[in-house]
Amino acid sequence: MKHPELKFIRTTAVRLALNAIAFYSMILLFVFIALYWASNRHINNSIESELRSEIHQLIKIYEQSGQQELIEQINKIQDDKNRIYYLQSSSQKKLAGDLLQWPDNEIELNLQTQGYWIDEEIIPLNIRDDDAYWPVIATELSNGSRLLIARNIHQEKLLHELSEFLIEAMGIAIAFALFISIVITRQILKRIYTIKTTAQDIIHGDLSKRIALSNRNDEFDGLSHQLNVMLDKIQFLIRNIREVTDNVAHDLRSPLTRMRNKLEVTLLEKRSTDEYEKVLRENIEDIKHLIKTFNALLSISQTEAGGNRSIWSNVDLKQLTVDLIDLYTPLAEKKEQTLEFQNGVDAIIYGSRDLLAQSFGNLLENAIKYTPAGGTIRFYIKSSADTVDVLIEDTGPGIPDNEKDHVLEKFVRLDTSRHTHGNGLGLSLVAAVAKLHGAELSLTNTRPGLRVSQRFNKI
Amino acid sequence: MHILLIEDDNQAANYLLKGLTECGHVIDHASDGDSGLDLALTGEYDAMVIDRMLPGRDGLSIIRMLRADNNFTPTLVLSALGEVDDRVSGLKAGGDDYLIKPYAFSELLARLEALVRRGHTVNFEQTLHLADLTIDLRKQCASRDGRQIHLQPREFRLLEYLMRHANQVVTRTMLLEQVWDFYFDPQTNVIDVQISRLRSKIDKEFNTPLLHTIRGVGYKLSETP
Repeated sequence: MKHPELKFIRTTAVRLALNAIAFYSMILLFVFIALYWASNRHINNSIESELRSEIHQLIKIYEQSGQQELIEQINKIQDDKNRIYYLQSSSQKKLAGDLLQWPDNEIELNLQTQGYWIDEEIIPLNIRDDDAYWPVIATELSNGSRLLIARNIHQEKLLHELSEFLIEAMGIAIAFALFISIVITRQILKRIYTIKTTAQDIIHGDLSKRIALSNRNDEFDGLSHQLNVMLDKIQFLIRNIREVTDNVAHDLRSPLTRMRNKLEVTLLEKRSTDEYEKVLRENIEDIKHLIKTFNALLSISQTEAGGNRSIWSNVDLKQLTVDLIDLYTPLAEKKEQTLEFQNGVDAIIYGSRDLLAQSFGNLLENAIKYTPAGGTIRFYIKSSADTVDVLIEDTGPGIPDNEKDHVLEKFVRLDTSRHTHGNGLGLSLVAAVAKLHGAELSLTNTRPGLRVSQRFNKI
Repeated sequence: MHILLIEDDNQAANYLLKGLTECGHVIDHASDGDSGLDLALTGEYDAMVIDRMLPGRDGLSIIRMLRADNNFTPTLVLSALGEVDDRVSGLKAGGDDYLIKPYAFSELLARLEALVRRGHTVNFEQTLHLADLTIDLRKQCASRDGRQIHLQPREFRLLEYLMRHANQVVTRTMLLEQVWDFYFDPQTNVIDVQISRLRSKIDKEFNTPLLHTIRGVGYKLSETP
């Protein structure tokens, strides 16, 4: 990995991680607000019950021992900075407590805790806390005196402490999330970087490079595998093109040279019209042959590249066989061969009739070419539940076992001296057409003879 | 014949012009799609030869526009695109025949004449005659000089095609396409063998040969070679 950190912040992974963190922070904030609200409520509840039990104790003292005892009790406990007591007589005279006077605000004398803003003015300096919010409980005693207890809860301080804690917690959570995100992001980036470096290698010309897979079998491996398969296909096609180019150069150059020489030699001196005509006709024949080779090559390449399936249709192999037998029987008979055909099997496959016709035609032509006079050529189809076999058998010399794979390649002719007519492309097209149609092609020596069988899938 | 040629390769077009003129035809030439369409819409032609890839407007769209205008002048499409489906799309667009470059001039000429002939013949006849050779389309049988000739069904189709294009050169490819519906180029002389077999049936025992080989081009069924 070469300094990917520099562009780290701009990567999709980081952006996604930050989005996620923002989202989680919002959730966290929400949770903390809820927590704050809940703990606040809990504190209030405990204050409330505390206040209630305290006022009941004081009421009990008053009821059992009288007002004087109550006053003494209040004087005894009123040093507590967090509590305010106030007792006033029925004539609104202060009897005991911290407050300077009974608060002006309306206070319910119902023994229920009330949130209450007490005027700062009436609170003694030593217990003022700049936050005049006090939960207050108050009652009227049987003699008309009024008793009040307020409790300082240091609301702001509590809030402050709580939010400080929350901010710290959130900070830690975010930092942790960020750390995790970075770790994950780096891992993702590493995988992407592997793909990127492989792509760069390929751009620079090494088409044999493939993306390394991890053994995790995750989405990245899935994607990498697909890309690798695609690269295999591309490499195959490119190799194919290269091969064809080489072959074209090799196989077309010599006839071109021959034609050129013939024309140049003819022009060396004056000749009769007949001679000129002869040379021109020979040239036309040479050109015809060149075009044939050229077209065959193109046809093979196009087929190997996948052809065009938009013109595919259901092909009745039985009818196609009959048509081909029709076409080639006179040729076989002229060579004193018997062309046998077994009729009767219905077989329909999905494919290109033109390509299949050419492929079977090539095989028949080969058979007719190599089978000696008096020999037999059999062309028939066998059908099973979901496959169709197209078989062409001859009684010719067959193909040596060690040459079998070789003969399917382009321009390969067993007759290396190239005396027999042909361009060595016939079987290449057969192989390409079979592959395009997903058919299994096999060559078997039947001694004597060759059997070419192709197994197609039925529709 | 008055023929419209729309072909942007001027060198190729000049040879075609020369060849077709020498064969007695009158040619108008356009070298781009738009002027070609103008000529096709305004002129009266017996046939058109249209290249598929043209500057301005492509060949197939010219044909489509003409067909939409009820102009059914027989049209031969020329193309450097060679795949089978290109031929299919060419014929779908309304072309009557399709020829892939590089083609032989003789092939183009033969196909052009066959197209024009096809445009003129009515296909309702029951019998076709050439000299003393007669074929009965309904009964699918042939006779010469009153003598029955036994033909296989495919041989009959071959003879029928030759009869329909009597006095006209037909090429091996045309026969392979029209009689057998095959669009490949055999490596063997399979059509020649078919023809010689037919010839032995219709010509062998008679004084005047009717089925002639035209060297380097194809065959012609006619009274005079």
